[in-house]
Amino acid sequence: MPWQRETFKKIKQIPREEHVLPGTTLCAGCGGLEALRLAAKVLGDDVVYVNAAGCFTMLATYPFTPFKGSWLYTTMGSAPAGAQGVRDALDVLIAKGRLPKNENLKVVVLGGDGSTYDMALSSTSGAICRGLDFYYFCYDNEGYGNTGMQLSSATPYGARTTTSPCSLQHPTGTMQEKKDIFEIWRAHKPPYIATVSPRYPLDLEEKFARAATFAGPKLFLALSACPTGWLYDPSETPEVAKLAVETGLWPLKVAINGGVTHTYIPKRKPVEEYLKLQGRFRHLFEPTKQEAAIHHIQERVDAYWEQATAEKS
Amino acid sequence: MAGEMMTGNLAAAWGARLADVDYIPAFPITPQTEIVEALAKWCESGAMAARFVTMDSEHSMMTAAGAAEVTGARVFTATSSQGLLYAFEVLYSVSGWRAPLVLVNVSRALAAPITLEPDHNDVLAARDSGFLQIHAETCQEVLDSILMAYRIAEDERVMLPAIVNLDGFYLSFTREPVIMPDPERVKLFLPPFHPAHLGFTASAPHALGVAVLGGVPYTYFRHQMHLAAMNALEVHREAAAAFERLFGRRYDVIEGYRLDDAEDVLVMTNAFASKGKAAVDAARAQGRRVGLLRLRVIRPWPADAIRQALQGRRAVAILDQNLAPGQGGILFQEIAACLYHEALRPRALCSFIGGLGGKNLSEGEFRAIFEQTAQAGVQGKGIGPVLLYTEAEHREMVQLQVLAGALKS
Amino acid sequence: MQAVRFHGRGGQGVKTASRILGAAAFLEGFRAQDSPIYGAERRGAPVSAFTRIAKEPIRERGLIAHPNLVVVADASLIQDPAARVLDGIDDCTVLFVNSPLNPDQLRAQTSLPGRLTTLDLTGIALQQFGKRGAISALLGAVAGRLVGLRQESIREAIARELGDLGLAASAIERNQKVALQCYDAVPVMTIEKGAGPALVAAHLHVPTYEPPTRGSARISASANSVLRETGGWRTFRPVLVPDKCNGCWLCFAFCPDGVISMTKDDKPVIDYDHCKGCQICVHECPTEALVAEREKEGGVAWRAK
Repeated sequence: MPWQRETFKKIKQIPREEHVLPGTTLCAGCGGLEALRLAAKVLGDDVVYVNAAGCFTMLATYPFTPFKGSWLYTTMGSAPAGAQGVRDALDVLIAKGRLPKNENLKVVVLGGDGSTYDMALSSTSGAICRGLDFYYFCYDNEGYGNTGMQLSSATPYGARTTTSPCSLQHPTGTMQEKKDIFEIWRAHKPPYIATVSPRYPLDLEEKFARAATFAGPKLFLALSACPTGWLYDPSETPEVAKLAVETGLWPLKVAINGGVTHTYIPKRKPVEEYLKLQGRFRHLFEPTKQEAAIHHIQERVDAYWEQATAEKS
Repeated sequence: MAGEMMTGNLAAAWGARLADVDYIPAFPITPQTEIVEALAKWCESGAMAARFVTMDSEHSMMTAAGAAEVTGARVFTATSSQGLLYAFEVLYSVSGWRAPLVLVNVSRALAAPITLEPDHNDVLAARDSGFLQIHAETCQEVLDSILMAYRIAEDERVMLPAIVNLDGFYLSFTREPVIMPDPERVKLFLPPFHPAHLGFTASAPHALGVAVLGGVPYTYFRHQMHLAAMNALEVHREAAAAFERLFGRRYDVIEGYRLDDAEDVLVMTNAFASKGKAAVDAARAQGRRVGLLRLRVIRPWPADAIRQALQGRRAVAILDQNLAPGQGGILFQEIAACLYHEALRPRALCSFIGGLGGKNLSEGEFRAIFEQTAQAGVQGKGIGPVLLYTEAEHREMVQLQVLAGALKS
Repeated sequence: MQAVRFHGRGGQGVKTASRILGAAAFLEGFRAQDSPIYGAERRGAPVSAFTRIAKEPIRERGLIAHPNLVVVADASLIQDPAARVLDGIDDCTVLFVNSPLNPDQLRAQTSLPGRLTTLDLTGIALQQFGKRGAISALLGAVAGRLVGLRQESIREAIARELGDLGLAASAIERNQKVALQCYDAVPVMTIEKGAGPALVAAHLHVPTYEPPTRGSARISASANSVLRETGGWRTFRPVLVPDKCNGCWLCFAFCPDGVISMTKDDKPVIDYDHCKGCQICVHECPTEALVAEREKEGGVAWRAK
C-alpha cells in the first residue's frame, strides 16, 4: 500500500512552537539536532528524554536544559532500560493512584549510533522484546561523533574515520558494511519503525504523528548529517541529508507491524554526488579516484532498491 | 522458639515485601536467584502490589531500578558477584541521581577463577560507589536491615541508595528462625515515599543526572554525597532506636561481642562473625580475654564507633574475607586509618585474610588468630597479612594440582 | 617562562595554534609544553589552549592563570563570560585580538585591559583561502612573532602540525605563506614580565549539606538554555532581504537550533542571540532572500548581553 501523508501535507503545518530551545552547545549545523527539533514538535513537552552517552549528552549541561520536558541521563549501554524503569514507574504510580493520569509522560530514548548499533543493542533488544511502550530516537551520524569520529557499526563502507583511516592496506578507510539496524529491530517485531531525514520534514513529522497511534516500541532512525565528523561546511547539512535520500543510500521507510513501506522513492542520483560533498569520502576521489570502491557503494544501493521494488511488486 | 524457618534469601524477599515496594527489576544469578523467584511469585499472585520485570542484564536491571526510583517509585532489586560488577557503572549513576533504592547483594567470590561461594571482594568493590552498605550476620538481620535501609536511604538528609549484604550459601541458602515484623508496625516505621527532588511529572519537569563541566560543580555535588552518607550515621541511630521500639530488636552500626574486658579484639563482618563469636567463647573458656567486633555498617564508615570500641586494646586482629592483590585486606586498611589519631590506639594491628571463595574457617584457624594476635600485642608489633590456609588444605591442593597435570611442567 | 593562552571557538584551530607555537619553540631549543582544554567543545563553542616556553624545566600543568600573552582568535569572546578571556590579565599582559579594528578602536568598544595589538586574520583568511575555516597557522605565527620565535621555526612547525592533521602539501604551503605574511604584519609588543599577583593561602570553604533538590546535578528550570547565548559563534550572520522573501518557511524548517520564527505574514525573524551562523538558512533559501554578512566589531556586530 503506497504511503500517503495524512496529517502533514504542507510545510506550514509544521508547528511553530519550539520544544527544544536554542542555547545548546551542539555544533552549528548539527543534523541530529535538526531532526530532534522537528520530532519534538510532534512529541510535545510531556516527555521524559532518557539519554544515552553521546553528542546529545551536551544538550543538558548544568545548569542549562533546552527542554520544557524532563531529562534523565543514563549510560551509553542502557538508556532503553532507563526508559523501562521510567515507564514502569509511571504506570505503577498511576495505577496506585499516586500520580494523576494527566501527569503522565511519553518516554523517549535518545541514543547515537554508537549506543544504538553497538553498546546498547542488548538493552534495546530487551526493551523491544518486553513490548515497552516507548519511543527510540537514534541520531545516526555514522560514527562515534562525541569523541571525534571513530568507527562504529553504523559507519558506511568507504568512509574515513579516525580509527578507520585510509592507508595503503585499506585505501577505502572503513572496510566493513554499515550494520542494518532497521532489519535487526524489525526482526523483533515492534509495531512501528521508521527512518527519517530532517531534509524531509513533512515525512518526519508525519511519521512521528502516525507512531503515536501505536502502543509499544516506536523506533526511529534519524539520518544526522554531521559537518564536524563528515567534513563538509555546516551550511550543507540539508544538502547532504537530501543527497543521502536522493541517491538511495538512506531509504525513507516505515515498518508497521513488520510490513515495510518506502515513503519516498528516489530517482536515485549517482552515489558519487553524495560522497563528493564530504571530506570523509575525499580519499575515494583524490589523489586517484577509487572507481572500484565507488562502484561497490553504487552496487549495494542498486541491489537494495532492486530487492525493495521486487518485494513491492 | 519464635518465628519461622526461612533462608536468608527468603528473608530478603520478605524485607522487600514488607517494605511495600512498587517495582522490582530482576536478573537471575546464583546464589541470589531465590530472592527474585519469591518476589516474582508474590507479584504474580497479588500478594505484593509491585511490578516485577525480568531484565536483559544486571546493567539494564540497575538502570531500570534507578530510573524507576527517580520517577518516584520505591524500588528493590538484588544481585551478586559478577552481576554487581556488570552493573557497576550504573551504581555510580544511581547514587549520583540520589535515588534511594535498596539493592541486596548476596556475596559470592569473583571470577577468575569462577566460583560460587562467598567472599566480600564483590560488595567491597562497591564501597566507593555512594551506596550505603549494611552487612548482615543472620537471616533475621537481613530482613530487618532491608527495612532499616529504606528508612535511612529515603531520609531527606541522606537520599542515597543502599546495599544490604548477605553471604551466599552461609545465609542465602541457610534456614534459621526469622521473626516476621508486623506489617502494620512496618508502616509506622517506614513512611510512604515522597521524595522532593524526584518524580517526573508533566507539571513539574526537571532534568536529572545532567552533565557538569569543569571541576567546581562536580566537586560540590560529589562532596554533597559524602555529606549525605555521613548524615546516615545519625539517621541510622534514630532508625535503630525506632526499630527497637517497634520490634524489640536493636541494630547499631557496629556490634560488640564480649568486648567489655577484652584485651584482644577480632574484627569481622557478615555470616562468619557467628563462627567468630563461637571462637571467642572457646578462647574465653581457656582464659583468653578476647572479644569480637562485628562491622555492620561499612558505608558510611562508623569511624568514631570503631575507635571507641578498639581504643585501649592490647591487640586487634582484622579478619578480611577479601583480598586486594598487592595490598592485602581492605577493611584492615580502613581500620588502621581510623585508629591512627587515637591516643590509646592498640599496640598491635594484625591482618588476617580468610574465608576466600567461601573457604571454611576452622576452630583451629581462629585459635591461631588469637595466639598470633596475643603475641603481637605483647611484642607491640603488628603482623600480616596472614593467610588463613592450613597445611592440610595445602596437601589437598597439591593433590588437585597433580590431577590437573600442573606439576608435570 | 613565557605563558601563552589561546582563546577561540571550536573549529578555528586554537589547539593546533598552541601546538604550532609549542613545536616552533621546541625546534629552537626551548623547553615547551602545549595543551588544550577538552570539554564539550563543539564547532563554535569557546575553547582555549595553552603553550608554555622556557629555558628551565616547566613545572606547571593545565590552564594558565596568569598569561604573558593572550591570543584571541575571535573578538566576540571578549564579552563572553564563559570564555574567561580576561582572567588573570594585568597591565603587563600583551593581548592579541583577531580584529579588523586597530587597538584604540577596539579598546573604545571593549574597555580591554593590558597592552593590545590586532590584525584581521579572518579577513586575511577569507581573502587568501576564500572560505571560513581554521586559522591555526595564522594564530600560531602571530603568537610566535610576539614571543620572539624565528620565521623558519614557525614555518617548520606549521608543516609538522598541519601534516599531522593530514593536510595536503599544497594546503600546508598555502598556510605557511599566509601565516608568514601575518608574522610580518602583526604590530609587535614586547612582552614584559609582570610581578604576578601576591601569593596568599586560599580561603577554603567547607560546604554544608543541602537537600538533593539543590545538592545534586538537577535542573528544575524549564528550557533555560536560552540564557546561554551562542550568537558569538558566528563568523557570518544571515540577514534577511525582505523584498526577496517568498515566505516559504524553509529557513524555519531547517534551522537546527530553532532560532528562526515566522511572523504572521510569513517573514522569518532571526534570533541573533542564539544563531550559531551555520548558514543553512542562507544555503537553503530558494529566493536568496537570506544573505551572509560577516560579523565585525562595531557596525552590525552582535554583542553578548
